[in-house]
Amino acid sequence: MRWLICILFAVSTLSGGPSSAAEVDQQVAGKSEDQAPLEAAARVDALLAEELFHQPGGTANSDDGTADSASGTVVLAPLTDHEDFLRRVTLDLVGRLPSPAEITAFVLDRSAGKRTAAVERLLALPSFGRNWARYWRDVIFYRRSDDRALLAAGAAEAYLARQFNAGEPWDKLAQSFVSATGDVREEGATALIAAQMGEVNDVTSEASRIFLGVQIQCAQCHDHPTDRWKRQQFHELAAFFPRIGLRPVRNGMRPSFEVVSHDQDRPRRRPMGMLPLGELEHYMPDLKDPGSKGTLVQPVFFLTGQKLPNGETDHQRRDTLAEWMTSEANPWFAKAFVNRIWAELVGEGFYEPVDDLGPDRACAAPRTIDYLAGQFVANGYDVKWLFRAIAGTQCYQRESRPRRNPDQTPFTANCSQPLRSDQIFDVLTAALGTLEGPGGRNRNPQRPMGGPFGQGGPRAQFAAVFGYDPSDRRDEISGSIPQALLLMNSPLIGQAMNGRNPNSTLGRLLAEVADDDQVAVDLFLRCLGREPGEAELTACHEHVRTTNDRVSAFEDIFWALINGPEFLHRH
Amino acid sequence: MNLHLLHQLRLAVTREGVIGRRGFLRGVSVTGLAAGALNWTDLLSLRADELRRQGMACILLWMQGGPSQFETIDPKPGHANGGETKAISTSVPGMQLAEHLPNLAKVAGELALLRSLTTKEGNHQRASFLLHTAHVPTASVHYPTIGSVVSAELGSLESELPSFVRIGRRFPNTGNGGLLGTDFNPFVVPNPAKLPDNTQVATKTDRFERRLALVRTLETAAAGSEATPEIAEHRGLYQKASRMVLSPQMEAFDLSREPDQVREAYGQTDFAAGCLLARRLVEAGVTFVEVGLGNWDTHDDNFNRTKALAGELDQPFAQLIADLKGRGRLDKTLVIWMGEFGRTPRINPRGGRDHFPRAFSAVLAGGGVRGGQVIGSTSSGGDDVADRPVKVEDLFRTFYKSLGIDPEKENMSPIGRPIKIVEGGAAVGELFS
Repeated sequence: MRWLICILFAVSTLSGGPSSAAEVDQQVAGKSEDQAPLEAAARVDALLAEELFHQPGGTANSDDGTADSASGTVVLAPLTDHEDFLRRVTLDLVGRLPSPAEITAFVLDRSAGKRTAAVERLLALPSFGRNWARYWRDVIFYRRSDDRALLAAGAAEAYLARQFNAGEPWDKLAQSFVSATGDVREEGATALIAAQMGEVNDVTSEASRIFLGVQIQCAQCHDHPTDRWKRQQFHELAAFFPRIGLRPVRNGMRPSFEVVSHDQDRPRRRPMGMLPLGELEHYMPDLKDPGSKGTLVQPVFFLTGQKLPNGETDHQRRDTLAEWMTSEANPWFAKAFVNRIWAELVGEGFYEPVDDLGPDRACAAPRTIDYLAGQFVANGYDVKWLFRAIAGTQCYQRESRPRRNPDQTPFTANCSQPLRSDQIFDVLTAALGTLEGPGGRNRNPQRPMGGPFGQGGPRAQFAAVFGYDPSDRRDEISGSIPQALLLMNSPLIGQAMNGRNPNSTLGRLLAEVADDDQVAVDLFLRCLGREPGEAELTACHEHVRTTNDRVSAFEDIFWALINGPEFLHRH
Repeated sequence: MNLHLLHQLRLAVTREGVIGRRGFLRGVSVTGLAAGALNWTDLLSLRADELRRQGMACILLWMQGGPSQFETIDPKPGHANGGETKAISTSVPGMQLAEHLPNLAKVAGELALLRSLTTKEGNHQRASFLLHTAHVPTASVHYPTIGSVVSAELGSLESELPSFVRIGRRFPNTGNGGLLGTDFNPFVVPNPAKLPDNTQVATKTDRFERRLALVRTLETAAAGSEATPEIAEHRGLYQKASRMVLSPQMEAFDLSREPDQVREAYGQTDFAAGCLLARRLVEAGVTFVEVGLGNWDTHDDNFNRTKALAGELDQPFAQLIADLKGRGRLDKTLVIWMGEFGRTPRINPRGGRDHFPRAFSAVLAGGGVRGGQVIGSTSSGGDDVADRPVKVEDLFRTFYKSLGIDPEKENMSPIGRPIKIVEGGAAVGELFS
């Protein structure tokens, strides 16, 4: 460990300083297999410059990220330095901080294309799929209508992780969610239907919100004066789903649910406490006579007008809808995904909230997202391609700034945002040096944790305190008292930080490293993924001096790093 | 402007529904706000309104699983559907309860029995959500649970304690702050006999404060003196959290401070401890406390199981009412007893009763509700509401009337759709006459 810190410390004094725009430009002309996404990235930057910054070419940069209101030109934040870039891209792609070794290797690397290479390396790690699987698991399950749906969360996460890592295109993945049948503990793609307990209207709403970014559920009960989607259209979409069912099953000793197709006999009676009884066709309720059966509606896909006759089987309906939803004729499918991933990486969406798109919604840069979504389609809905393209933009690589005010130009900087619960959990457990993390050991590591909420396991317990719905606007996510209490006072975190335990991270560090600066550097790297600045190092020195007890002083520093604002945010 | 004040101001503004968090942070710049978008007179009037309502509190005794009305509030001893359960007289002439609630019978003068609740939700999860939010669950809107609504409307900004505390085992679909935000999520106390998780400072107080100071020192060293919104929020949060754990008011969570005879008067069960803790918290300024008692889902062996559960319920519930009354808190504390639905009149072959949302009971006490009365009735066999049906929206309007909260108030969903606290319905006026 000692040699590593020595190298790191040496490196920290040798390197640093912001990278230049020219360097990123060189990356654009990098290796041939990377051409397409990086060309797209350059085009995105150029389009943003034309649309928003009123600067042809998009190369303008300055030292401060504020708008110059006097001249009318927009001032862009400079590109991040390498350390910040690596921290950001590692959190974004694989959901954790870079290790000290990764930081060293990256900072020492003198090649021009090293940012691109870092993106490639991270995309190839299994944790890439896992990180984004957890994101989508949360997208689906935060809007569950019933806590029992969480039975399906573990399988959904495992399925999504596998598919993202295998390079499954987004259209195929989305289709699998719309078409799924099977045991919700086994078939991860059943998550969309399981999360709404098979309730037709809710499944319809969520399929549209998640995969199309269109909030058509507003029209479920009445036509909306400010929206173009009509009540009839909502129910025509619901008419693709009337034959889905969710029935309780016992899989060995474990209770579960199964998503099934009801093509002949719907259960006649609804057993008390059981799931909603449906019809073979969808009926739009009569608002004036809610007790009546309502009007029979035909399956029509509202964005393209494509229709199916009544009487088709469940599979026929859902497979067809899955195809129509994801076809090139419907641009909103690609835009919804691009908008989300862009918003996660750049910190602000073209459309906000990220799941409220459509022809009547304001878009921050319509030509840019049209271009990027078009390229995403042209590249076969290749998820990793999109990450390469966005991470390759200057827009992504700029220094971060707090969220802008509405009257300021978007995308002049990367926007800082709170980390998701899984990211914080992984950063914390890595920093503390315990694999099991606060809350104890996961006794069965083969089985994915039950999900984001209260299904047992330390990660789930942590999520109960730190989790949030990733579809919500990030600037509306606020911290909570229990979060602060957990980080300040959790006995498990406290024990893991104990510097007098020779086997703890801090205990080993203090025993092996005599130089206080090096200990401080190591703690900063572990907790924040960066080295301390001069002022921070001085503050640490001062704390060690006044505390007059080396172990206590470094316990305090460790504690303060975990309890500071930077620990919970991505910059 | 002082950042802590700003944080509080944001809460004050949110709870008045003038503008949401987004509006506050984005629509109005901080200077604009100070300069007059919301002036100090407005602010003072908000505060006056708050002072007016201050002191109102609510305790919800949540009966998870769906308690049998026949064995508790609405016995039918003269009918086959009533089974073996007998009725007993109470301190109020003509008002009867099931035989398993002798202690509650003694405080009947404080209780208003609602025997004509009716809903359509016979599924535990959906009904639990409905009876916590007055809305059926949907994927598109996160309706806030009643405790969050009450704490957002009435919770004291100055309190060092959380304004909404939920005590006991975690029951699914009981809701949280939803569209009101995490500020109004319940503070959860899984075991009332233990101090809440992570509220005990592991180090000596001076070291804890030294650590907090170090956080600020390092933050300034990293970011300079100018605080980003992120840092400002973090400061506010840590200030509140650290004030809370260091507060002498945290003693309210410590039941060992109660004399033995008080603890004995409530009883020895977890639910009894929860009721006593609820009383302590309300006295300490907590606005809403939810105490759960589970396992009412008696599909088999209903009579023995419900008898045992009613036995667990009776003494603490009665003592809570008597204690609040004796300490002069009952007028300002609405106590609600309810579950997600009732149970079938028909006794099934396993001696059980199944889910029955069509006609069931709840109890209200305190909070300006006139006790000693019965609202509504069911038919002789309990199959239907015979008189004065009360729907969920009526019930919730009644709660909010007692607490002085406007049920018409609209909160904004994330996509800007206004959501009323309660949609439709009318308060049960007789309760307050």
